[in-house]
Amino acid sequence: MTANELKAWLDESDTHVLIDLRVGRAYTSGHIPGALSAPYRQQGWAPMVADWAKRQNGPVELGLFGDNAVVVKAAADALEAQGVPAAATFEAGMAAWQAAGYPVVAVQDLTVDELAGALSEWTVIDVREPYELRSGMIPGAQAIPMGSLEQKVSTLPKEQQYALVCASGNRSQSAAAYMAEQGFRVANVVGGMSLWLGAGHPTA
Amino acid sequence: MIWLTMHDPNLGCSSYIIGDEVTGQGVVVDPLGALGVEQYVLSAQDAGIEIGLVIETHVHADHLSCASALASALGVPHAVSVAAPVEFPHQDLQDGELLTLGMLTLEVWLTPGHTPDSLSLIVRDLRRCTKPWAVLTGDSLFVGDVGRPDLADADDAAIRFAAQKQFDSVHRLLALPDGTEVWPAHYGSSPCGGIFMNKSPHSTIGYEREANPFLSMDQDTFVDQTLRLLKPPPEEAQAVRRKNLAGIGSGKDGAS
Repeated sequence: MTANELKAWLDESDTHVLIDLRVGRAYTSGHIPGALSAPYRQQGWAPMVADWAKRQNGPVELGLFGDNAVVVKAAADALEAQGVPAAATFEAGMAAWQAAGYPVVAVQDLTVDELAGALSEWTVIDVREPYELRSGMIPGAQAIPMGSLEQKVSTLPKEQQYALVCASGNRSQSAAAYMAEQGFRVANVVGGMSLWLGAGHPTA
Repeated sequence: MIWLTMHDPNLGCSSYIIGDEVTGQGVVVDPLGALGVEQYVLSAQDAGIEIGLVIETHVHADHLSCASALASALGVPHAVSVAAPVEFPHQDLQDGELLTLGMLTLEVWLTPGHTPDSLSLIVRDLRRCTKPWAVLTGDSLFVGDVGRPDLADADDAAIRFAAQKQFDSVHRLLALPDGTEVWPAHYGSSPCGGIFMNKSPHSTIGYEREANPFLSMDQDTFVDQTLRLLKPPPEEAQAVRRKNLAGIGSGKDGAS
């Protein structure tokens, strides 16, 4: 499927849902608006996605997005074995999508040093669980645990820019991608509090 | 650090997927044609690692590589020593060059001997400390043995010269801290080593200094012993190396 065909498929119906199969920072550094991140795994991935699809209100059709043919084919085969064949597959990655001129949702990467040097420009949101906050928080940060983010996000002003932090930078990456989807300007603090503390930056 | 070793027990070959678990950046080192492109792509994907580079510690003469096929399937560069006379598009690795994967670094040391294009990779995890954690020694230093010097060029003078280079290279590796883990490209009864090669796929620098018979010899004895102990070369060694030089070492399915 070409980028134009994928765009047309996505625009065709609200029941068309795109699953982004890529791992690492690929999704946060740039994904197709509305795509859901579910990195492909040989074990457990297909049952989880099939189950998710069956639990939606009304039927959905799944599209698979990746940047190489091996992973996209493995994911498509695994879904088909679950009885939920993919309706669309795309294996040319973000480069092909962007080359066609289509929009991208992206989260900026922010190092702890960059954040420390410009702390007043950012609203810092710490998505760790309450018990993890004993190691200290970035001065001025708001604590919003991952589980509450969806509920709290509507109360956050959109004119600010947000830096999301957790212990290692993993959870905050998903949180940042979620907020970017909601139209916020967000960055992920790479390495999270482990690097903030490691670099000797102050905590409150 | 994510560290996956992938073996071909038939030929005693080791290959590696190494990555930073936080940033998801990683590399594949010495991917084996016997395992095939798909297995590396899916294993890295399972580990949450995005492969940004495929590296070969040297152009192999005993087995077909799938490095070119893997690099092109992923759309990433294929890196080999600057000394490798390869015919495919590649990225040159220089001595002392530092490759960065999130908080991991791979420092390139050119360690010629087994082949003129042999290299080793010193692995550090700066999230933990600045000392080397491990070294991928390719076919330079093995567990209990050293890489044979005769597979790239079978001319007698060239073999002797290669054995001298190998002495220098393994002694350079011995300067690493004792606790540094040693992960070669071969183990067991691989034809790239001799009769002393151990069945264990890994060791440490300190243990090899104590236990590896080749590391307590002076250069002349080392050269003499390496040449004296040479086994018959693996079947088709020159032809296999030629194929790998051309980047047509195949994937498992033979398709690429």
